[in-house]
Amino acid sequence: MRNPTSGALTVAPDESQTLVVVFLRGGADGLSLVPPVGDDGYHRARPRLRVTEAAAPSLDERFALHPRLAALHPLYARGEMAVVHAVGSEDTTRSHFEAQDLMEHGGVMGGGWLGRFLRARSATGSRALAAVAFGTALPEAMRGAPAATVLRSLDDFTLGDGGAALTASLAGLYERDGGILAAPARDSLRALERLRSLRGTTYRPQHGATYGADDFSQSLQQVAQLIKSGVGLEAVSVDLGGWDSHFAQGTLIEPLMMRLADGLSAFCADLGPRLATTSIVVMTEFGRRVEENASLGTDHGRASVMLVLGGGVRGGQVYGEWPGLDPGALDGPGDLPVRTNYRDVLAAVLARHGGGRVLDRVFPGHAVRALPL
Amino acid sequence: MIDRRAFLQLGSALAASSMLACDRLPPWLLAQQPAFDDAAFAPPVNAHVDLVSHVIARLSYGARPGEYARVRALGRSQEAAVDAYIREQLAPEALEDAHADAALRQLSMLELPAGELFEFKAPVLLESMTRGTLVRTLLSTRQLHEVMVEFWSDHFNIDSSKGDCRWLKAHDDRVVVRANAMDSFAALLRASALSPAMLWYLDGRVNRRTIAGEKPNENYARELFELHTLGVHGGYTQQDVMEAARALTGWTVRAVGESSFGLGRVEFIPERHDDGEKVILGQRIAAGGGAQDIDRLVEIVCAHPATATHIATKLCRRFIDDDPPADAVRAVADTFRRGGGDIRPTLHTLFSTPDFLASRQRKLKRPLHFVVSALRVTGAVSDAGPALQEYLTRMGHAPFQYPTPDGYPDEASAWTGTLLWRWNFAMALQRNRIHGTQVDLASLERRAGGRRHLAAHVLGRQPTPHEWAAHESTPDTLALLLASPAFQRT
Repeated sequence: MRNPTSGALTVAPDESQTLVVVFLRGGADGLSLVPPVGDDGYHRARPRLRVTEAAAPSLDERFALHPRLAALHPLYARGEMAVVHAVGSEDTTRSHFEAQDLMEHGGVMGGGWLGRFLRARSATGSRALAAVAFGTALPEAMRGAPAATVLRSLDDFTLGDGGAALTASLAGLYERDGGILAAPARDSLRALERLRSLRGTTYRPQHGATYGADDFSQSLQQVAQLIKSGVGLEAVSVDLGGWDSHFAQGTLIEPLMMRLADGLSAFCADLGPRLATTSIVVMTEFGRRVEENASLGTDHGRASVMLVLGGGVRGGQVYGEWPGLDPGALDGPGDLPVRTNYRDVLAAVLARHGGGRVLDRVFPGHAVRALPL
Repeated sequence: MIDRRAFLQLGSALAASSMLACDRLPPWLLAQQPAFDDAAFAPPVNAHVDLVSHVIARLSYGARPGEYARVRALGRSQEAAVDAYIREQLAPEALEDAHADAALRQLSMLELPAGELFEFKAPVLLESMTRGTLVRTLLSTRQLHEVMVEFWSDHFNIDSSKGDCRWLKAHDDRVVVRANAMDSFAALLRASALSPAMLWYLDGRVNRRTIAGEKPNENYARELFELHTLGVHGGYTQQDVMEAARALTGWTVRAVGESSFGLGRVEFIPERHDDGEKVILGQRIAAGGGAQDIDRLVEIVCAHPATATHIATKLCRRFIDDDPPADAVRAVADTFRRGGGDIRPTLHTLFSTPDFLASRQRKLKRPLHFVVSALRVTGAVSDAGPALQEYLTRMGHAPFQYPTPDGYPDEASAWTGTLLWRWNFAMALQRNRIHGTQVDLASLERRAGGRRHLAAHVLGRQPTPHEWAAHESTPDTLALLLASPAFQRT
């Protein structure tokens, strides 16, 4: 994307930008995802859980990627992925529910941040497939969106068998008697036509991408399919849960990290040039205690990491002030303090999706200081 | 209509699918059995939407089978018939409402006092509230009351996802909106101002002055002027907002995490109230008014002429046209003012204006209206459960979930992006693919007296030759009717 600020107004509908939000539910350990291998405090606090500098792909002189996230390293090296560390919300309850709720709503307020963004950005209402959540329930972040769909299968979108006869008749009726609905009807008929062509055909990922069989990868494959079909997808939410690693952390989260990295790297490869108009944000409700516990796990903490991938991101860097892991620098019972507000990461991304002028309505009461991502 | 055998099959089919979904067939579904009466009915015969069809379409969520003939029979002329219908709908308490009452007995949690709502999980409560709205709009004979409940729910919008509103909105819906929807605007406004959910939603609960110089929280006071009463260009000033906020200091509500008992209880704490003199819209509220300041405030803003115009404009936009005609607004505002904000005479004036009577098919149905009217005209039986509710989410019109205080927009332009899901819904309904919702097309067609009469019933007029040609060329008659441009309008 060449001209980030004017994106939403100037791109043709079929080229519209898509924001993909990946929420790691359960509180993902930022110190494992992006270990500060250059910080002695890390090695002291995590004698058994730590990864060594030699095994982990380096990001800069202080940080590395967990070896299980190695598939993401090429994206970082190409500048297509940025990392933000010591990032989080002001929630201090360390409760999954409270922290997710606060983060997704963007504060104690009505609607979710993504819902408010979609509502505020378009005065005339969004298209039918503007916002899609993979899973079984609408995530709180999308609450209040002008149109939001919980998706199980692409078939949900079509009119089913016999749909073709119906749409032919509808085309005639709306052309003749549509009034202000005539143009939106044409738009919807086009979307239906594209969705129909997706059904029943075997999807072939491009550019050598291979998706895993797990739900996360399969969801991302369908997102790629929808993006390429040009039906006007503006925001997608995909969850990857299971990060609550109080016990035997490695066996619990290492497979998740592989799923995350393999899924995202396949997705980015598959999108090819479309990655330029797609942004992916990876976030979690909180990080975990700096010091490992007696059962090879970690307990609920404060700050974690966020990843931002895709078009226009100034990647290849780790953003955010690093407080260090000296006991004196830690928060409450020994947690990584939040030095970057997660809203300032989202604000930078939303600004590239035509949201620059509505940030005060997306995050009311927050003085936005968007990260220079 | 469905014969007994088909009805039993429906019951067992629902039970079987419900078992798969690990829940039970809602027993109150059976309470809707009278909707299965097998009577033939007479649809409209006119080529254009006539007065009876028009007034039913605007005052209700759509004509159930037989409703057109019932209303037409209320008077010798069309004019006399709609006059009687309007009077009937303006006196909802006189109407029997057995089906809705029976269905709502399963949702008795919504009747609980505010404090007891906290015993439920928030998503359960939201689903039940939404179900309550759908059941009432679908089944209640007091259709105009339901239309006004929707109107005031937007006017005094509260997003149930903010803080304790997750629990307290159910209370607000019952005690504020439903109880006052057809009576005194001032009583409605006062109830809303002291609604525990509203105190949460617009931060009234933290509006206080405990030490000299402490700034009141203006959030509610601003929306009180801008949205609830005078309107944004109604002639109030920033000073008025600040003074109104002062008058409201001290009112609060016990919140989760702050109180261990009495959750949801509204209290006036004199030590947090700014008891000095206030001047609002040029009117004095004398010092020392305490908890009575709010009564004076309500009195002052309700009596302001801009409030009458603002409410009249919104009512005319809802019932007449997105661009409300000035003559109608003047007449409605005049009745509102002269009646001291009495809602029934105000509506009666509106329904008597030439603009109202003439404005046929000029409004786009919002998604809730579209979904409910599709179910009503087809005589569908529905559990109003999650599968149905999901369609409202997809169309961005789930009750109690609009994030900002201005409420869901009324203008057509906000909703034109929902066509795809309207068509999808129409097809799913005809094919009986919505879990917990069932139509019997064959019997509906039989009762209407054939396909052409069924079309007239759904559209409120005879189909045009062009429409009829389209209908003859598709096997999915009902879906096409419900998906057609004419059915999106009212």
